[in-house]
Amino acid sequence: MTPNLHLWLIPVLALIGAAINGLFGKRFSRQTVVAVALLFSGAAFAFALWVASQFSSLTTPHIETLATWIRAGEFRADFAFYLDQLSLVMLLVVTGVGFLIHIYSVGYMWEEGGFYRFFAYLNLFMFFMLTLVLASNYLLMFIGWEGVGLASYLLIGFWFTKDSAAAAGKKAFIVNRIGDFGFLIALFLMIQHFGSLDFAQVARGASPALPGGEALLTTIGLLLMVGAAGKSAQIPLYVWLPDAMEGPTPVSALIHAATMVTAGVYMVSRSHVIFEHAPGAMMVVAIIGTLTALFAATIGMCQTDIKKVLAYSTVSQLGYMFIACGVGAFSAGIFHLMTHAFFKGLLFLAAGSVIHAVGGEQDMRKMGGLRTKIPWTFWTMTAGTFAIAGFPPLAGFFSKDAILFKAFTSTYGSWIYWAIGVFTAFLTSFYMFRQWFSTFFGEYRGDDRADFHGHGEHGHGGIHESPAVMLVPLVILALLSVCGGWIGSERFDKFLAPAFHASEFTPVVQHGAMGMGPDTVVPATPVLPTGRRDVEVSETLLTGISVAAALLGFLLAGQLYYRRRDLPGKIARALGGFYETVLHKYYVDKIYAAVFVKPLIEGSTKLLWHGIDRDVIDASIDNSADGAREVSDAVRHMQSGNIRSYAGWVAAGAALVILYMVWVGTR
Amino acid sequence: MHLILFLAFGAVCVAGAVNLLVQKHPINSALSLVVVMGSLAAEYLLLGAEFVAAVQVIVYAGAVMVLFVFVIMLLNAGEEEETKGSRVAMIFGIPGMLVGSLLIAWVLIEHSGNKSLAAGALPGPPKTIGWLLFHDYLLPFEVTSVLVLIAIMGAVVLAAAPASAGGRKD
Amino acid sequence: MLPQTADYMRLLPEIVLTVFGMIVMVMDAAAEGRGEGRSRGRSIGRIKDRRIEKILGAVALVGSLAAITATFVQAQYPGFAFWNMVQVDSFSVFFHFLVAAVTAVVILTSFEYMEVQQIRAGEYYALILFGAAGMSLMSSAVELVLVFIALEISSISTYVLAGFRRRAAISSESSVKYFLLGSFATAFFLYGVALMFGATGSTNIATIGDVLRSGQIPLLAYAGVALMFVGLGFKVAAAPFHIWTPDVYEGAPSPVVGFMSTAPKAAVFAVLLRIMFEAHAPGRIGLIWVVAALSMTIGNLGALVQDNIKRLLAYSSIAHAGYLLVAYAALPDNGIPAAMFYTASYAAMNVGAFAVVSHFGSAGERYVTLGDYSGLGRRSPLLAATLTIFLLSLIGIPITGGFFAKFYVFSAALQANLVGLVIVGVLNSAVGAYYYLRIIVVMYMREPQQEVPVARIPVGLGFALAISLVTTIYLGVLPGRVLEYASRTATAWMR
Repeated sequence: MTPNLHLWLIPVLALIGAAINGLFGKRFSRQTVVAVALLFSGAAFAFALWVASQFSSLTTPHIETLATWIRAGEFRADFAFYLDQLSLVMLLVVTGVGFLIHIYSVGYMWEEGGFYRFFAYLNLFMFFMLTLVLASNYLLMFIGWEGVGLASYLLIGFWFTKDSAAAAGKKAFIVNRIGDFGFLIALFLMIQHFGSLDFAQVARGASPALPGGEALLTTIGLLLMVGAAGKSAQIPLYVWLPDAMEGPTPVSALIHAATMVTAGVYMVSRSHVIFEHAPGAMMVVAIIGTLTALFAATIGMCQTDIKKVLAYSTVSQLGYMFIACGVGAFSAGIFHLMTHAFFKGLLFLAAGSVIHAVGGEQDMRKMGGLRTKIPWTFWTMTAGTFAIAGFPPLAGFFSKDAILFKAFTSTYGSWIYWAIGVFTAFLTSFYMFRQWFSTFFGEYRGDDRADFHGHGEHGHGGIHESPAVMLVPLVILALLSVCGGWIGSERFDKFLAPAFHASEFTPVVQHGAMGMGPDTVVPATPVLPTGRRDVEVSETLLTGISVAAALLGFLLAGQLYYRRRDLPGKIARALGGFYETVLHKYYVDKIYAAVFVKPLIEGSTKLLWHGIDRDVIDASIDNSADGAREVSDAVRHMQSGNIRSYAGWVAAGAALVILYMVWVGTR
Repeated sequence: MHLILFLAFGAVCVAGAVNLLVQKHPINSALSLVVVMGSLAAEYLLLGAEFVAAVQVIVYAGAVMVLFVFVIMLLNAGEEEETKGSRVAMIFGIPGMLVGSLLIAWVLIEHSGNKSLAAGALPGPPKTIGWLLFHDYLLPFEVTSVLVLIAIMGAVVLAAAPASAGGRKD
Repeated sequence: MLPQTADYMRLLPEIVLTVFGMIVMVMDAAAEGRGEGRSRGRSIGRIKDRRIEKILGAVALVGSLAAITATFVQAQYPGFAFWNMVQVDSFSVFFHFLVAAVTAVVILTSFEYMEVQQIRAGEYYALILFGAAGMSLMSSAVELVLVFIALEISSISTYVLAGFRRRAAISSESSVKYFLLGSFATAFFLYGVALMFGATGSTNIATIGDVLRSGQIPLLAYAGVALMFVGLGFKVAAAPFHIWTPDVYEGAPSPVVGFMSTAPKAAVFAVLLRIMFEAHAPGRIGLIWVVAALSMTIGNLGALVQDNIKRLLAYSSIAHAGYLLVAYAALPDNGIPAAMFYTASYAAMNVGAFAVVSHFGSAGERYVTLGDYSGLGRRSPLLAATLTIFLLSLIGIPITGGFFAKFYVFSAALQANLVGLVIVGVLNSAVGAYYYLRIIVVMYMREPQQEVPVARIPVGLGFALAISLVTTIYLGVLPGRVLEYASRTATAWMR
């Protein structure tokens, strides 16, 4: 008998916070708004910690059914929450990092209008994200999935007076809809073939023995990946994330770095049973991950906006997580997800602190020499930069190393993934240190007057350190970025193993394919490390190479952006067209606009507007322009063209329907 | 003989209908409608539906048409203006109608089965019709009164001058 | 043999609606008699008239509420009435309730509208009630002749209602257009019924079903289905018979558009369900496939370029007719409940959206372009938030009814292996997100271009919005009960 933990309380706490601030926040003072927001997000975190403390006494997966939700014929879905090692990790990351970012936002957003609205949205986001993470079936997960998208849309467009913010919000929403289209169809296929959307039942149902077998599972897997690519900003749907930086910086940290964008990784990991039976889908995941990692890193090298660099870096790091999923190293992916939440959250918050300090400037070319002026920010950001670059013994080192190792050695892996991964690690290190050097070293290159009147989001005067309420979260995250990896990937893998390999519902996973006999299922044994290919390669060597790549990146960036500041310009000129292409993000946005958006809009304009609709409109305008004219007149005028045309269309349509039906009937 | 008469009246009916559309003066159109109604009544008679035929002549050809002509006279409606045609109707509509009608005609001729109905097989005498109308089909019959009621209301609403137009005469 | 009490009970909502319709009509006439000649362009007596019209509205509201109550009474008498003309089952009760509820909400919305637009309300309310009676009757009629008469009642009342903005030429125009084209389409339906009678020897839906199930299906039946479908397809604004929709919606008064885009459509969809499934219409799947795909695509693409909110919502309703039709291509045991659920949630969100549009349009429906909505989020946060939720539901975002509606429809279609259609549908709903979002973006993220006044929300409208909002969210959060009801209906039906 497992105890009832009342898991539903965790998301509901956040929802209550959102509701109170959303409904009454307008009348509250700022202090009250803050109190409410922090109280409820903090309570959710505390509750999550308590759940974690109880965790060892639970039999996993621990499922709590709150109520029957939908029962229609054979199909049923419940309000049920699902707790296992995987969701516990996600739960702690979301509530923990979320709470810290709430605290930070108090300082960051203090001066802004719509203060209460901001916190209401933020709590609302937490509610949906926790629903997503704790859901025990795909339908509830999808509710959370769409919900975080909605909250993200609201938060990106928070400064809705800015046109670019509004456009960015809309873009994020639409691109995500395309991803959701894949996810939804995957859900329909699951209902059709497994008769359920429960994780447990889907896992039980997903076996190659099914009618359709591997092909079906591959299809479902690929469709899920379409959904994941939308939410987690992978090729070809990554385009929305960089634009999403129009939102306030804490939002970028919480939603577009630490939590929401990792939902795709979580979803793929959650569906690991499907993927494990569909090697084709796995390969696609790995390839998409690899390409995205590389592609985004190259773009990141040329960006000059401090937040855009981080945005492309996020896309690239998410690519790493998908590499891990694609080679079957789900736990390594989740490990990187966790450490990434720490250091990328930190980097965004620190970047926010920098922006705050220089009065809203985001262009790195106008910064420099800030090291001494904002020491706290500098040191925490340094921790984050070294962590993401993969310097031992910081968090990023362990998780990235685990992924690269698995990419090389796993049965699904290949040296190509590894090689590109290492090269990307070098690029990552380079562009991160480029940012680090440009921001904190050298001379201050900013516009002096900006110090006095400021512009954009912050109107403080003078370069100044952020208040303590912003620095405390920075410090905590910095500590986590330093130490978060010390759990070690092996131990982490072991902890997550029950969720990935010995799910009680699939006692026999096809381990044969991974080099183990089907009988040797021991829950606590991590399967994949033993499932490596016969490659004689020392882990130390691989680790050494990736550390060397990081170091190389550091040195190169130091050379170019600290010692010889004239060099980058020369190199850019030397590269000419290629540099231009990368600078313009490979023109992907333009290509999408030309290939998809424009034809759609123009097609419908030409075909429907000019072809059919406009005659009508013109006629209507003619009439309504002169409202006093006699009605009979208007009718006569209108009769001349429209009604006949309309009747013509109806008659033609009717003829087609009759033709079709008679044709069907005579067959 | 039966068949020849039936076809002849059918042809007259169609010709009347086409004439109705082509004529420009409302009175001519109305008179064409009388032809249509009359030949339809003859068709009913040939099919053995004496009662329906009689009702057709009395109600439509008689009452309704008189009313039509009366209203047209009263309004003193002149000749219709020539209005510009519609390309859509010419390109899609008319061919569409032709194709649809021909198809259905073909289906009716070729595939209506061979249970040919003898004259009088369907309810013809007033007593049977009365029974059907006031028993089996009582509800549709009664509900039709609502239909007529709202049709009248609709006419009243649409015909009344707009309030803002003051005492403007139509 | 005379009709029994049970016969009347099975017809109670229709009787209630008709009686109240007549009361309103007679009261209006009586009031007019006393206030003598007020119809002829007089403005002095107007204030007094307003009071009378409010009373008329209240009576109509009571009538619609009484009809809702009558629905529950009716539900106690399942079975056939009036010699197999009408069948009361949980299916028809569902639609009776839906139509009556939509009527009540529309009447609530109309109070303010009538006053602002200075429309004489007497016949207006009466026509709404009569129309509702016709729509209710459609959903329980199992005899094609009766279906036809009920369809005409519903159609003629909507034709007239569309022309109620007497001061705008565009409204009369839309009324006449709708009337002429609608009659054209009804002729198709009637001809279809005749051919069906020729093919099966009956106009009773159940008998037709038996005949068609039992033997080889004559070609005539295919032609009959085709023609009936043309008629009904016109009424629900399915492509390629959608062409009238934007014009008519643009011209008609907004509350009426809210009414005619939901209640009559729901009734026609009910008829279509009976014809497609109970009468076992042949050639169903291919026909529906094409029409549904076409409606979704044309509706969504057409809406992309609209600047007038009413036209935009007109195209959106074409698209939604397409989504709904997808359910008709599915298997009966999933398709029927999915279609019923979709009808209900579409009714809730669309009536709500038009309630907002009609309030915001103000006198003469001046403010109906997208530009007028800019900055609405700041000027009237409550109104904007409400409209946003309706729009999100129209997109199909979770925790709104629109999500589950689409979800069930597509899921049902996929279980019938209509993969292609589902892909078309889901892609279309992604495209659709764009133009709904455009409204939201404009409301919240654009500076107002001109001073557009927003009146306070009156009580009646407040209630109307609250009802639609609660229903939309209820169907989105706890769809279980409604869906279960719909599924039980389907199983009972298919037995």
